[in-house]
Amino acid sequence: VDVARPARSTARRQGSGWAVLGVVVALGVAGPLVALPASFVIADVDAVTLTLLPPALGRSVLLGLGVGVGTLALGGSLAVLVSFYDFPGRRVAEWALVLPLAIPGYVLVFVIVGQFGYTDPLQSTLFGGVVALPGLRGPAGAIGVLTAVLYPYVYVLGRSAFLGQSRQSLEAARSLGHSHLGAVWTVAVPLARPALAGGVALAVMEALADFGAVNLLGYQALTDAIYRVWYGAFDTAAALQLATVLVGLALLMIVLERTLRGRARYHQTLAHGDAVLPRRLTGWRAGLACAFPALVLLLVVAFPVAQLTAWSVETIVAGRVADRLGEAALSTLLLAVSAAAVAVCTATAVAYGQRVRPSRVGAVAARLAAAGYAVPGAVIAVAVYVPLVWLDRRLVAAAGNLVGVEIGLLFTGTVLGLVGAYVVRFHAQAYSAVESRMARVHPSLDDAARALGADRARVLTDVHLPLLWPGVVTAALLVIVEVVKELPATALLRPLGRDTLAIMTWEATKDTRFDTAALPALLIVLVGLVPVVVLVRLWGRPSRATDAAPPLPQA
Amino acid sequence: MAISPRARLSLLIAVPLAVVALVVAVAVVALDGGPAPEAPAEQARPAVAEVSTDGIAYADTLVVYNGRSHYGDEKVFRDFEAATGVRLELRGGTGPELFERLRREGTDTPADVLVTTDLANLWRAENAGLLQGVTSPRLRDQVPAGLHDVDGNWWAVSTRLRVPVVSTERVPPGAVTSYESLADARFRGRTCLRTSNNEYNQSLVADMIVKRGPDATERLLRSWMANEPQIINSDGEMLAMIAGGGCDVGLANHYYLGRALLENPGFPVAPAWPDQQGAGAHANVSGVGVVAGSDAVPTAVALMEWLTSPPAQEQIISGSEFAANPAVPPPAHISGWANVRIDPIDGQHTGPALQQAVEMMLRVGWT
Repeated sequence: VDVARPARSTARRQGSGWAVLGVVVALGVAGPLVALPASFVIADVDAVTLTLLPPALGRSVLLGLGVGVGTLALGGSLAVLVSFYDFPGRRVAEWALVLPLAIPGYVLVFVIVGQFGYTDPLQSTLFGGVVALPGLRGPAGAIGVLTAVLYPYVYVLGRSAFLGQSRQSLEAARSLGHSHLGAVWTVAVPLARPALAGGVALAVMEALADFGAVNLLGYQALTDAIYRVWYGAFDTAAALQLATVLVGLALLMIVLERTLRGRARYHQTLAHGDAVLPRRLTGWRAGLACAFPALVLLLVVAFPVAQLTAWSVETIVAGRVADRLGEAALSTLLLAVSAAAVAVCTATAVAYGQRVRPSRVGAVAARLAAAGYAVPGAVIAVAVYVPLVWLDRRLVAAAGNLVGVEIGLLFTGTVLGLVGAYVVRFHAQAYSAVESRMARVHPSLDDAARALGADRARVLTDVHLPLLWPGVVTAALLVIVEVVKELPATALLRPLGRDTLAIMTWEATKDTRFDTAALPALLIVLVGLVPVVVLVRLWGRPSRATDAAPPLPQA
Repeated sequence: MAISPRARLSLLIAVPLAVVALVVAVAVVALDGGPAPEAPAEQARPAVAEVSTDGIAYADTLVVYNGRSHYGDEKVFRDFEAATGVRLELRGGTGPELFERLRREGTDTPADVLVTTDLANLWRAENAGLLQGVTSPRLRDQVPAGLHDVDGNWWAVSTRLRVPVVSTERVPPGAVTSYESLADARFRGRTCLRTSNNEYNQSLVADMIVKRGPDATERLLRSWMANEPQIINSDGEMLAMIAGGGCDVGLANHYYLGRALLENPGFPVAPAWPDQQGAGAHANVSGVGVVAGSDAVPTAVALMEWLTSPPAQEQIISGSEFAANPAVPPPAHISGWANVRIDPIDGQHTGPALQQAVEMMLRVGWT
């Protein structure tokens, strides 16, 4: 006992260090957002806010509900289908169903509108206009488009949860008289609840933060309202107030997700050859099972990509390729990789700090940091921009006074400010991936390593990181995909004159120059595909990944 | 996978570095979350400066905030570079984005020249003290009196008309003759308007407030709203909407239609020139000004002189705008539109009415 005591106090000190680091990083990421509510205190609620807020809030809530239900149904059912059933084309569907992640909502809208025009073709031509179909411009259009591109969040997290489940539980349910589907429904799906809820929460947060698609569809949700008061009325107070309401919705989503998840912690202890064996389908069932993912992929991926390719070829043949396309592609990639690197660090620090020493403060800080995900890029851009301008001014003044050197603005309008905004915005993506992976590392491993004399840093680098590796890669790739697609924050913070692909697409789309927008849009999709494909390849070897993990002690 | 000591070391360095950066950001937010100090107020601004560009030594580089970056007239800037050896750093964005950026950057802005669309953007920049007044014999020569700020804060490079546009298939000629026609009951549910946060619309309404008075303007807007217009995102989209049968009448800048007709002479949308027996069609500007605090004023003025000179103007208006320089005729494909009676925007009074316009538009339900 006497020998153990000093070791324990060291542990506490080191543990506190990591916990404090985690909280500090989380607050750093959340900082600009924490400042938002101050806008209600500093400025009065003016007529602009009062006019725009109620309808916009209603539209955002409707959008969030619709996308939540839609992605759960679509992503969840697809995950169940490919995880528990075997059918022709399953191997392809398995990875292909992730592909819509690479297609931003605004690109999908642009393809639909570019192809069919603005006038709700289905409405006017189908059934001779007798049956009123929900219009593309209404809530149904926005929900449909965003569900189509956001369901992979539910699918990805759901499928990896299903893959991590042991066969025995399913077999136990079968032995109790459940059918295969019944067993899946009563055992596998509830076990995957945290993952499914996490996926839905991510999808809804992303839908609430979406600006491009809702803006192009003229669906004036909160993000659109914020953009309008900012750039139409230049009423920054009103914009910040609307943004605060949106952050509130995001926080609500996070709380909701945690509540749904309950206090349950499912530590999967997957041993060799323990994974679920999918059930083989034959006949018309196999046909249906094959047709469902095929239809989704055709509508969301194949058709838009083919259309974009056709337009792009047209543009190339006509010799109207924009001059700086290559430069824009390179900028986009560099920005995405830098943001991903920083976001992985912040995510790991927050997750590990909370793991080492779970605390209420740490949990609240971690949740606050994740709220950035639901805040529109435009608002984050300004929330980051204001302090950066302040800092820049002082740096310039200090350099002039103290050293006598005239330096330019270091952060404002440089890559630094933009990467900072990306990290605030996409930290939640990285955090979610790292944390859910870390949650699968059994706490007894930490204890074992600690008992063997490793300090906390060593536990992180030598025990966690090798096991976290897929989570870290997933985190980085998710951030890269997001940054490539990101629009409003880039528009505001990018070094002016340095276009990204999203900016090029956006500027051309705004003017309905569809042929000009096609090539950068296609590149966004292609660049976005690369990490998605890598992600898929990582998953493609679940058995080897399991083999690589050390056998976990059974409790 | 084992982590090498080296990788572990770099991780241990990278994480704290990221933390420090974020802590600084937090500290900064905590210390001062408010807006950056504004640039000097209007009254403190020096009077218009007479600038001569004859035989000046050009600055090496000019930073241009270019709100016309998607108008396809970048070649004009390249020509200036070739002729003078000045390197132009073009930083593109929409007019409102550039204004917001300039406002935040204040006196530390790297920008020397602001090129932007619409009087609203020019006036907002001027009003925030972000521009400095300049004039030169060549500028006065090339830009007529109504098309530049009296204090030389901005000079127009082009003009554009914001007019009713109608479907040639569903609207008989003569059915739309004024801005009031958008309130005609025959177009109920068949009109399109762009969003009210669009500066073209804001300038139009502000100009109406100046010329017709706020009451008459609000009555007009309410009558437009009574027709339950569809709210559209861009002028281009509006034309596509009309052509596709989504609505019959809209309100657009004339050059969007000029471009569409240049590409497809059979495009089924036509301008309906308003108030030709009265005030005429609302004419707005896009323009250029020297950013306050620029240390390359003569070079900036030289660029402005180039942009308003006939060779540059011809390129700028090839996208179907009208030239600010009266010596330059409209492009051939819209030469028939040269004789439209126009109602030039009130450059000195429209700006101050913008806020009132924005509030009025929201009040009447124009979102």
